[in-house]
Amino acid sequence: MTMDETDLRLDGNAVAGMLAELFGFDMTVEWGGCAGCGATNQLGALLVYAHGMGAVACCPGCGQALLRVARGEGRWWLDLRGLAWLQLDEQARVVG
Amino acid sequence: MGGFVSRGFRGRRRAGAEQATRLPPGQYAETGFPVLTAGPTPRVDLATWRLTVEGLVARPREWTWEEIQALPGSDFEGDIHCVTRWSKLGTSFAGVSVDTLLEAVEPRPEASHVVAFCHGGYTTNLPLEDLRGGKAWVVWEHEGAPLPAEHGGPARLLVPHLYLWKSAKWLAGLRLLDHDAPGFWESLGYHNVGDPWREERYWGD
Amino acid sequence: MGRLSWRLATVAEVRPETARVVTLALEVPGWDGHLPGQHVDVRLTAEDGYQAERGYSIASAPGSERVELTVERLDDGEVSPYLAGELRPGDQLELRGPVGGYFVWEPGRGGPLLLVAGGSGVVPLMAMLRHRAATGSQVPARLLYSSRTIEDVIYRDELDRLAAAGDGLAVTHALTRAQPAGWSGYARRIDAVMLEEVGWRPDEHPLAYVCGPTRLVEAVAGQLVALGHDPARVRTERFGPTGVP
Repeated sequence: MTMDETDLRLDGNAVAGMLAELFGFDMTVEWGGCAGCGATNQLGALLVYAHGMGAVACCPGCGQALLRVARGEGRWWLDLRGLAWLQLDEQARVVG
Repeated sequence: MGGFVSRGFRGRRRAGAEQATRLPPGQYAETGFPVLTAGPTPRVDLATWRLTVEGLVARPREWTWEEIQALPGSDFEGDIHCVTRWSKLGTSFAGVSVDTLLEAVEPRPEASHVVAFCHGGYTTNLPLEDLRGGKAWVVWEHEGAPLPAEHGGPARLLVPHLYLWKSAKWLAGLRLLDHDAPGFWESLGYHNVGDPWREERYWGD
Repeated sequence: MGRLSWRLATVAEVRPETARVVTLALEVPGWDGHLPGQHVDVRLTAEDGYQAERGYSIASAPGSERVELTVERLDDGEVSPYLAGELRPGDQLELRGPVGGYFVWEPGRGGPLLLVAGGSGVVPLMAMLRHRAATGSQVPARLLYSSRTIEDVIYRDELDRLAAAGDGLAVTHALTRAQPAGWSGYARRIDAVMLEEVGWRPDEHPLAYVCGPTRLVEAVAGQLVALGHDPARVRTERFGPTGVP
């Protein structure tokens, strides 16, 4: 079957587990600002391209990558340059 | 969870004995051609398509689609290896040798590295030596058919002796530099060279 | 450690739902509960250390005795044929979670509720409906569920029972490839006309949850917004390139 990025595109849910392991809580409900266009979104609403090399989470408005993550040999690499700011809720827990 | 093994799980891997000797360490043979993408597929109009080779060269040059098709063609037949562990054995691509392009632009003596830059913003870096000597191509055909957009069409870089993330899709040009400039994945933990036979997957490998 | 990283679950039961779909009932030591709509990541490890990971939505309502995952076996899949073909009661499974608080509905969030599912996308929505029933919620809810054929409808009997309970839930099926004799329901893919006929009006301000193959989810989300629904009240969970119903 021919597949293009439409079929492969996911949302922030797809990186929920990975981000929970990195940050210690569920990031999909937290809000972030796009450094490109200024749009604010919950991370769960970001458009995600993910495969074995890593994942890129993009602004649903302008398409710019807010967050890039890769993992290999016991290390994580995280590039958050596309995130102008991140709002984290003190009450944030992994469950809800 | 060191040591846990899922009973009876093997994954998709299936390699015959002959294939096993052709596989770099840690790879398995894949009959398909998985699509890995880090963003939307660029749609490039052939009428405005250009390939640029610039930077530390005596004669920076731009080719249109017609011009690059008119260059002496070159084919590759062999194996490609993805850092996500699949290898596709015995596949073929057609296009032009990067040697042909480099001859036209005359790299300066101090040029040591290259950045491949692409529609959609992807970049990857390589030593110039890895693009020379019949080791690299710009290709627009895969197994006899036009390269599909999801695999990098209209044209991609092909450097089959390195991991496939170096074979940049939707190629727009090559820039010659006197220093190494990490690209999209190389600035996120992936190796600057990426030799599958030395398993150069990540920083420090 | 704990819920933030991988832990071992034991398969208690493997229950077929349809020809290609099974539900795994898992015992998960130390499970702290979950919210309807959340998922877990599952990781498989081969003897030589090769690993594959995938996410699966939790099908069971919070408070259920076991954590249930419903898995569709994809022909060219790597993980699903193992989960929905090889796993037996007594086997163990590594999982991480629950995560995914973004795609969650609880009665406290109100409604009315519009749930749109393509194929196995019904799984997280089923957790929402099971929780709704278990808590006696009267929040009006409508499920529009697209499947290839009647035999592919997951949870068919249970959905019939929930819809017959008279507590404000309506279930509408769309069968896209083949319909049984006498079928008077929708016989095509979900489109804007169907959403308008089945769903709530924009001025009713529904909360919408759309889940299934990416193509279906993006089409439906776009159609809902084009019909006038508030994009901030439409949540999506794309499953990627599964077979399109």
